[in-house]
Amino acid sequence: MGAYILRRLLGMIPMLFAITVFVFLLMHAAPGNAIDGMLNPRIQNIDQLKQHLREINGLNKPLWQQYVIWLRNFVQGNWGYSFSQHVPVRDVIGPALVNTLLLAAMAEVFILIIGVPLGIYQSRNPYGGFDNTASVVNLILFSIPYYIVGIFAIYLLAIKLPIFPSQNAVGTGPDAGTLMDHIYHALLPALSVALTSSAVYSRYTRGSMLDVARRDFTRTAYAKGLREGEVFRKHVFRNGMIPIVTQFGFDIGGLIGGAVIVENLFAYQGMGYVTLQAATTQDYNVIMATTLLIAIGVLIGNLIADILYAVVDPRIRYD
Amino acid sequence: MEPLLAIEDLRTYFINKDVQVRAVDGIDLTVYPRQIVCIVGESGCGKSMTSLSIMRLVPKPRGQIVSGKIKFAGKDLVQLTEQQMSDIRGNEISMIFQEPMTALNPVLRVGEQITEVLIRHRKIGKREAMKRAVEMLRVVGVPRADEIVSEYPHQLSGGMRQRVMIAMAMVCDPKLLIADEPTTALDVTVQAQVLELMKRMRDDFGTAIILITHDLGVVAEMADHVVVMYAGQVVESVGADELFAHPLHPYTKGLMASIPSLDDEAEKLYSIPGTVPDAREFPVGCRFADRCPLVQTSCRERPPELREIRPGHLVRCGLV
Repeated sequence: MGAYILRRLLGMIPMLFAITVFVFLLMHAAPGNAIDGMLNPRIQNIDQLKQHLREINGLNKPLWQQYVIWLRNFVQGNWGYSFSQHVPVRDVIGPALVNTLLLAAMAEVFILIIGVPLGIYQSRNPYGGFDNTASVVNLILFSIPYYIVGIFAIYLLAIKLPIFPSQNAVGTGPDAGTLMDHIYHALLPALSVALTSSAVYSRYTRGSMLDVARRDFTRTAYAKGLREGEVFRKHVFRNGMIPIVTQFGFDIGGLIGGAVIVENLFAYQGMGYVTLQAATTQDYNVIMATTLLIAIGVLIGNLIADILYAVVDPRIRYD
Repeated sequence: MEPLLAIEDLRTYFINKDVQVRAVDGIDLTVYPRQIVCIVGESGCGKSMTSLSIMRLVPKPRGQIVSGKIKFAGKDLVQLTEQQMSDIRGNEISMIFQEPMTALNPVLRVGEQITEVLIRHRKIGKREAMKRAVEMLRVVGVPRADEIVSEYPHQLSGGMRQRVMIAMAMVCDPKLLIADEPTTALDVTVQAQVLELMKRMRDDFGTAIILITHDLGVVAEMADHVVVMYAGQVVESVGADELFAHPLHPYTKGLMASIPSLDDEAEKLYSIPGTVPDAREFPVGCRFADRCPLVQTSCRERPPELREIRPGHLVRCGLV
């Protein structure tokens, strides 16, 4: 297993390299550039100034040279400056990454404690009143995009009933920046993401459990005289969770980069928020760094999914 | 001798709104201690549903035992609560299935799958149960039994898996073992070994066996008594020797004629023409009439009774 993980991690390097090349080219193919947006158009001799700024930032060099310079600096730990915020890229990304990881972790916890148990409970009494009701509610939640859920959440729980903050990842009061403050601010965005996903997970869990409940080995378990609860715990549950656990691993990666809309809705300063800001101001260095981190998140998530798969299913072996 | 199991007029239907599928439609079956009874018939004749009815494992909610009695050791299994029935399953009556590949849980070690039966019924500790599981695996001829217990089903061959199934079924020393086509999914050479093993189980432990099969070769090899089923009913019930010597029902004769033989000159295999009637709407008269070479008009008018033609030889045919 150790050798497999190492091999997979090494395999990520060419993939990440390709991603940076692609993003770099895409970014420079977009019209405009980072300098244009920075300057007041009424400055005298603006063209000269632009030219000067391009030169000191190396933007006048051929594209491939720019890329090589960026790559060399990046590998050495020099991620450059943010053109729009005039601080080192690391100072922009550091807090954003922490915020996003917290948001993702909270969303995953909500999904796990809402979606999976609900699905299991539904599968235990399929086609009953509760199951049917839950299925309809799930379908409705599943059909509502999570940014709509977010807007409702803001309206109800931040404006009508001002319990939660409607924006920002940290508060301003005396306890600003504490863990509790962070959790408090992440709660609504996390719920908005989790509500839709929970609906998906409960459907998925229900289906998986029902599928396993029909398998031959479940019948064998009953034929051995095991009671309903034992059959479920030892046979149905353990097999039914295999696809859920794997899906969960994939979603870890997705959540790190995927909460762009919700983060912007809540003006929550996470990776998605920072990426969008950087994209609109063509803040090259920030975009390169966030894209790379999101890509790493997705790839690591996939690796975790594969590892979890082997952990829960003995038929899967990587050696 | 007292029968171990006596099924009387068992009816198991699948009911879906106004459609009624009569999978088992009035079966009588008697099994004596140490006896091997084969239930023979083609796919869909109700033989598997009969065995699942005995175990009370008919797929819910559509499958239901509508009427009849299943008397086992002084109790009517049909009347037992789920709780009481689960005390019998795996303990007094065990069952093994056709596909050893899918009948074992893929994510549990072999040892755990065997010990959980013992822990459930014998109230013994894990270590003691594991010791007995290893012993039982040795009895059924699994080599390296002490290593196999910590392996997973996918690491074993088909024959080994079926041996594990048999070990699992026999570990609580049941009075009755139901085997639903236990060798169908296995290689021919392995088939013979597994059948041999089951016979040994009967001889060594005195377990009666209900063996469900569509293979008359298996019947000839194993059976003391044979029950031929057709369209949810018993059409012939007789001792094994008598069945092969004097088959009486036209359906049984057809089955016999379908067995290819080495010294047969015929180029084409015999097969019974037509197909099994739809279980949602059985004909009024004899259910075999449409496929029977001897059919008379009287056959279609009223259903034939299961009659004792000779001592111990029951046939459901008006013409015999």
